[in-house]
Amino acid sequence: MSGPADPRRLVDAVEEADRALVDEDLITENDGSIRTVDPVAILRGPAADDPTAGAGRQRPLPKLADPAAPLLVVEDLKTYFDLDHGQVRAVDGVSFTLRNGEALGIAGESGCGKTTTALSLVRLLPSNGRIVEGSIRLFGIDLATKSENALRRYRWREISIVFQGAMNALNPVQRVRDQIAEPLEDRSSLSPKAARKRAGELLELVGIPKARGRAYPHELSGGMRQRAMIAMALACDPAIVIGDEPTTALDVMVQAQILELLEDLRHKLGLALILITHDLSVIAETCDRVLIMYAGKVAEEGPVEVVFRHPRHPYTQRLLGAFPNIATDRRSLEVIPGSPPDLRDPPPGCRFAPRCFAAMAVCSEVVPPETTFDGIRVACHLYHEGGDGTPVTTAPANAIGPTVVGVG
Amino acid sequence: MSGRYLLSKVGQAIVTIILLIILNFVLFRMMPGSPERILGRNPNVSAEAIAATRERWGLDKPVFPDQLVSYIIATANGDLGFSFVYRGLPVVDVLADRIWPTVILFGLGEIIAIILGVALGAYTGWKRGGLVDHLGNGASLVLYATPYFLIGMTLLLVFSVWLGWFPTYGMYQVGATYNGYFDQLTDFLSHLALPLATVALGLIGQYSIVMRSSIVETLGEEYITTARAKGILDRNVLRRHAMPNAMLPMATLIAINLGYVVAGAITVEVVFNWPGLGTLTVDALTARDYPVLQGIFVILSVSVVFANLIADLGYQFLDPRVKA
Amino acid sequence: MTTPALTPDQVVLPRRPHRVAGAVGVFRQIIRRRTGLLGIGILVFFTFLALFPTILVGPLQTATTATGPRMAPPQPGYPLGTDELGRSILNLTVHGARISMVIGLLATVVTVFVGALVGIVAGFRGGRTDATLMRITDFFLVIPTFVLALILAPVITSLFGTEGEILGIRITLFVIVIVIGLTSWSSTARIIRSQTLSLKERAFVDRARVIGSSSRQMMLRHVLPNVTDLIVANTVLVFAGAVLTETTLSFIGLGDPFAPSWGQILNSAQEAGAPGSGAWWYLAPPGVCIVLVVLAFTLVGTVLDEILNPRLKGRR
Repeated sequence: MSGPADPRRLVDAVEEADRALVDEDLITENDGSIRTVDPVAILRGPAADDPTAGAGRQRPLPKLADPAAPLLVVEDLKTYFDLDHGQVRAVDGVSFTLRNGEALGIAGESGCGKTTTALSLVRLLPSNGRIVEGSIRLFGIDLATKSENALRRYRWREISIVFQGAMNALNPVQRVRDQIAEPLEDRSSLSPKAARKRAGELLELVGIPKARGRAYPHELSGGMRQRAMIAMALACDPAIVIGDEPTTALDVMVQAQILELLEDLRHKLGLALILITHDLSVIAETCDRVLIMYAGKVAEEGPVEVVFRHPRHPYTQRLLGAFPNIATDRRSLEVIPGSPPDLRDPPPGCRFAPRCFAAMAVCSEVVPPETTFDGIRVACHLYHEGGDGTPVTTAPANAIGPTVVGVG
Repeated sequence: MSGRYLLSKVGQAIVTIILLIILNFVLFRMMPGSPERILGRNPNVSAEAIAATRERWGLDKPVFPDQLVSYIIATANGDLGFSFVYRGLPVVDVLADRIWPTVILFGLGEIIAIILGVALGAYTGWKRGGLVDHLGNGASLVLYATPYFLIGMTLLLVFSVWLGWFPTYGMYQVGATYNGYFDQLTDFLSHLALPLATVALGLIGQYSIVMRSSIVETLGEEYITTARAKGILDRNVLRRHAMPNAMLPMATLIAINLGYVVAGAITVEVVFNWPGLGTLTVDALTARDYPVLQGIFVILSVSVVFANLIADLGYQFLDPRVKA
Repeated sequence: MTTPALTPDQVVLPRRPHRVAGAVGVFRQIIRRRTGLLGIGILVFFTFLALFPTILVGPLQTATTATGPRMAPPQPGYPLGTDELGRSILNLTVHGARISMVIGLLATVVTVFVGALVGIVAGFRGGRTDATLMRITDFFLVIPTFVLALILAPVITSLFGTEGEILGIRITLFVIVIVIGLTSWSSTARIIRSQTLSLKERAFVDRARVIGSSSRQMMLRHVLPNVTDLIVANTVLVFAGAVLTETTLSFIGLGDPFAPSWGQILNSAQEAGAPGSGAWWYLAPPGVCIVLVVLAFTLVGTVLDEILNPRLKGRR
């Protein structure tokens, strides 16, 4: 598996992209039965079983929706896990907004809470996890406080999720087509026959021949499994699709195909996307905005071009610096010394302070408030409300520097 | 499932059975007292029986390969020799009447245990924690540690002697006359109840423990999260996604267990004096009726091998990942 | 077998130093868990009984030395009642502890020895040896070994004769030990073999960097210590199984009435019609002891498995 590309270079490349895709999966699996399909026609056209569904291009809003509200507003989300000895504060005050058709990338190291955030959105936490505080407003409806039964209405029909399909996200003893048809039968009350037909159409949508739907997950390649997962995620025409490391286990070629597929679908359907990954280059390619998380909190958030070209938070800067830049003449990777804190007992103040080259005295005492500079949010003491928000790239005079020793 | 796979599995089973018969043969030759000597000591055995014995085992021919081959052929033809005790009666006849009581006891016991054990295991695995789980777990552990005959004796004591709900020994009331089939059936069932409960209890403990841990492990898989994310009702997640996957280790366990359950079933029969192969085994052991003992061994082993074969082939339908 | 790029002191296989300290540490870990503590407690109790039966209840009563009323329920002087010969059940049960435990122990030794031997050789050698050994192992896994045991018993008895002792225990009991050993080794063999295989996998990579000669010795020195953990956990569970098997075999009638194990006591009980006549005191003491001991071994074995098998550590 080749390494990640420099996201900054990629942002440039995206703007004048001319990629030649080698669609390996399609070429080897295509038996000529793939037609070009229109996702809108499949998902929002008149259904065989439901002639009352009009051919409208807009998807209907849920009953309780507030039409004026933004698509998704997460405010001060806190999700903790109860362990035998203590409580892990995996997500500790995360806020962000997602608008219609927007693609938000959530990036950070392993264990920073990005997956937990995603699972919190659909309330799919393991039994020892719970949302302690905060709100998750979908169309203005707070999902965090809904009962499990009431919540079910929104699962898959408003928000769906694509896991790392290469592993175990698909039921190994059930045919792929049946797994895609399942939510259609259960949730959208299609007849089994109609559901299977729709499943076949969805598979074609993602570039898998209909006939392959009869296969079991282990009979498909990694890339095809991922496509199948995407097809499944779209089945109920959701407003938001969350991708949790959807391309991490795939090689670069297939990765590119999957991302292009997501882009395509997103634009045609007006889909909003939350992409969770530790691979910044993926975010650079696909997302409009990026949210950088560290140790359960938001470090920085803003439009991708701005954040990647002019990172403000020292952590973001180091993250971007950690990517090898082929263009420059660098011999070694910039490694961030130390490792993320233990979230059972996070340090007071800024959680990145122990590893921060620009750490000042105040950093280990006071939690940095979020400040906003034309569209960018930063949580760092280097930037004050009312300041001009110019990115700081060298340690200030009163900096103490990192307090950890050794390599992370 | 490809024909080749089927053939190879059947072939393996046949090889196992042949090895079995060879083992039997070896043991037989090592038995204290060779066939003619024992038969010879019994003056009441007819001359035909002795001659048949000599011919069947080719006792005048060399042991290997001639005797071995004729032994294998004879066994394959269903000729298991003659009983020492029952004065020259063919072993197969001795066994014939005793097979079906054991099959009923053992077969019904397994079925009940599988249904209840899987249900209990799935329930406690799903709920995890809570009174039923802890009680069930504790009870299962204790049952697992208790020999079958002990369970039987306890049940006998409590339900038969103290409470008087069920009869004690045998399959039918001795010397009873019946007013029709239903009467006979009731008598049979009341005698079957306790031994059946014993076999079932002995197995339920094991099955529920394995099922529970299988469910717990399955529930940790990502496709369960996917299913829940799809908004599928919990009970359907359990039914459609968790159970089919969790049952796979169970299926293997049931197949492997068959050889061991036999031991339990034998002792249960002894406790309740149930007229099946088990009591026959013990009687034959005490009377040193080796041909009968070996006949039982062959029958039981072949059955277990056969059952394992069925389980093996059947597993294909459960788990599509097993490539034929 | 190639390329010595490293010197022998740079060989990288993980070794387990300080085995004694390791054992004490593991013991502490077992005690720390409730189930482990319970299991160890029960085992200590019964070991005590097994070591000093005569001190606790006097010599083993026989038909001639029995003085009590026959088939009598618990009463002053006979706290656990008497059997059909007038012997005190308490006396029999306590003495039975030694016999049951000793047979169990010896049977376990044989089982684990044979099983480990087959498992290590099969896993280590691989190829044809492995295939053949596994065939035999699977054969023993499939057939009803209990019935095999019943057939083997007279055969082996005829080899040794019926009177006298071997290694201080009576022939009948010795036969049971052998029979259990011969029929129970297969699951141990399977477990050990797969562990050996996975170790071999790891070792091969490193082995390529080791100076060729004495590779077998090195394998044994590296493979064996790592397999030992698994053998130990498995042994405890085998012990549980051995006690159960011995009990069942004795109940069937292969036991020795003059050196009654718990299973043998139950055999006598069954013969004397104890269940049918409601003589619960004849059944309960040996029965409860069997369950307790087997349960204890199972608990300790499971706890040991959790401790020694890191893969299970994360689970609840």
